[in-house]
Amino acid sequence: MYQKTVTITAPHGMHTRPAAVLVKQAKLFNCDVIVECNGKQASAKSLFKLQTLGLYHGVTVTVSACGEQAQLAVDEIGSLLATLS
Amino acid sequence: MSVDGIVVSSGIAFGQALTIRSNSHPLDLSLIRLDAIEAEKDKLLRGINNLIAYLLRCQHHLNENGDHYQLIDADIALLEDSELHQLLYRHITQYRVSASVAVNRIFRQQAFEISEIDNPYIANRSHDILCLSTRLNNALNGHLQWDLSALEHDTILLADDLTPAEFAILPLEHIKGIVLESGGLTSHTAILARSAGIPALLNCPFTINEDDIADGTELIIDALNGTLYIAPNAKLQSHFQLLAQQEQTRHLKLKQFKDDKCQTQDGHGVKLLANIGTLSDISRMNDVGAQGVGLFRTEFILMHANSVPSEQQQYKMYCEALFGLNGLPLTIRTFDIGADKDIPWLNQQHEDNPALGLRGIRFSLANPHIFISQVKAILRAACHGTVKLMFPMVSQIEELEALLVLIEQAKSQLLEQQKAIGNVSIGIVLETPAAILNLPSMLPLVNFVSIGSNDLAQYTLAADRTNPTLANNYPAVSPAILQLISMAVMHCKQADKEISLCGEIGSNPEVLPLLVGLGIDNISINPANLLAVKANLVTGHYKDFVDHAQHVSQLSRIEEISQAVKAYKHHAFDVH
Repeated sequence: MYQKTVTITAPHGMHTRPAAVLVKQAKLFNCDVIVECNGKQASAKSLFKLQTLGLYHGVTVTVSACGEQAQLAVDEIGSLLATLS
Repeated sequence: MSVDGIVVSSGIAFGQALTIRSNSHPLDLSLIRLDAIEAEKDKLLRGINNLIAYLLRCQHHLNENGDHYQLIDADIALLEDSELHQLLYRHITQYRVSASVAVNRIFRQQAFEISEIDNPYIANRSHDILCLSTRLNNALNGHLQWDLSALEHDTILLADDLTPAEFAILPLEHIKGIVLESGGLTSHTAILARSAGIPALLNCPFTINEDDIADGTELIIDALNGTLYIAPNAKLQSHFQLLAQQEQTRHLKLKQFKDDKCQTQDGHGVKLLANIGTLSDISRMNDVGAQGVGLFRTEFILMHANSVPSEQQQYKMYCEALFGLNGLPLTIRTFDIGADKDIPWLNQQHEDNPALGLRGIRFSLANPHIFISQVKAILRAACHGTVKLMFPMVSQIEELEALLVLIEQAKSQLLEQQKAIGNVSIGIVLETPAAILNLPSMLPLVNFVSIGSNDLAQYTLAADRTNPTLANNYPAVSPAILQLISMAVMHCKQADKEISLCGEIGSNPEVLPLLVGLGIDNISINPANLLAVKANLVTGHYKDFVDHAQHVSQLSRIEEISQAVKAYKHHAFDVH
């Protein structure tokens, strides 16, 4: 398993629009990408689940993935989480 | 008859009522037959696909890079979410309920979970989820959209809420105004109405005795003050027609200044901020290009409540204000309560002389629990923007020290509760001669001061500001007040602290050259007057303002001063 921890910097957090962009990106990878925050987990491919995590400004988020393209996926999704706004 | 709402896009609009309601089908909660489960699942999928197809059609009207397009994209991404589909399927199978019931429950659960998130901006997104749920349910029942194509006359649209997709297909040439029952300052509809320049009120409970306003009823939206007038009489109609015309002319004349840099011709910068009392005012101040809020009169929150709003309620409100400000500073004045402001549920003791009684921070120090919960809400909200905190009616250092102790208490309570605290700068409102005379001792403890010229005049001249027979002979622009202002400026410059002014004289365009010439750094103004004041700033020269202020400071008669102020025209710009 490959994993990485990032902090949300977007002033309004991962609200609907950036989260939708993130999901689009995650779907390009074959492996499952899991986002963990505030003690809850969600697939990065599910906007519905991601919305309930509370990805607001300043929280730390752990991104993890297993299998094919895991490292690439985690790097990509991690950096989107840290930079999208 | 009239109803109040929050202004999210300012202006005045006339038109006939048209209420659009999502067809609220009563939910059939009965169990479905086992062999109908597959059919319900199919129905669900068809509904979802129909809604997606409809949303894609709406997107055709829009620019791909716009906010609006991306918002619809997000709705589509939600509807396409396979985990959502699984949840809905499972709910239908497990509980043997119809697709509509499953959608209703799962989306409501989702909205609830989102609304519990400890961040107001994210928590607000629960509205969007509920809105999407209604649309999906309509799609399941075959009602995808309203047919507004037949609209011919000027219309004011009334609805519970509008999704971005619904907004996209509105025939905007006929929609003159929008009134919604739900929504907030940062809701999507608010953003879209503002960018379309359509006057809009949100949070406006327009149903009367559960009846909708009949379609075709004449309406006026006063989205300057936040009121919807239903079937206004001829007198009101002509009043607002006149007002709308004046607004338009004024606006045209003044809007050339909106984007100008806030400085004189010779490059002296002055910040022009807004005085606000409600969240509506934030939309208005953004419309006139204010550089932030110089005075948020928080006691207005109390006047419209039945009890002290909780820390959490206040926190949400301050956050909402900060989101509306998008990084611009919010100067919050703590509750300025006194026996002159009648708040029945506070059970204030009768005072013979309330203006000289337990008001401002005197009340706060006597009721520390109210003060501390307000300060906690403000410290927490400060994580989401630039906050300046100021205290009304501080006159001496003992009071200031006592307030700072309470702030430390608020901070340690928040630390104990593991709540994040943002940075705030601290200031006092200069409202009494004593405050100005005592500035040298108090300045080291604060970051800024702001002159409250209305009260400063009342307390210096011992003239009740609410007594109309005194108004003319005891004005704020008078020798004693100008001396006190000069003294305050001098102390602040020596201590290198910022000095602002937030009283009514700041809203008078004629007085601007004098105030700037005296050395005031920031002026906080009623949004309606801001551009007129700015016109006088950007067309003038600082060195002329200084000469003017020196000249006026030497005058000893009120009449002379007022003539000098009126006669000083540094340019030909006249806004009236």
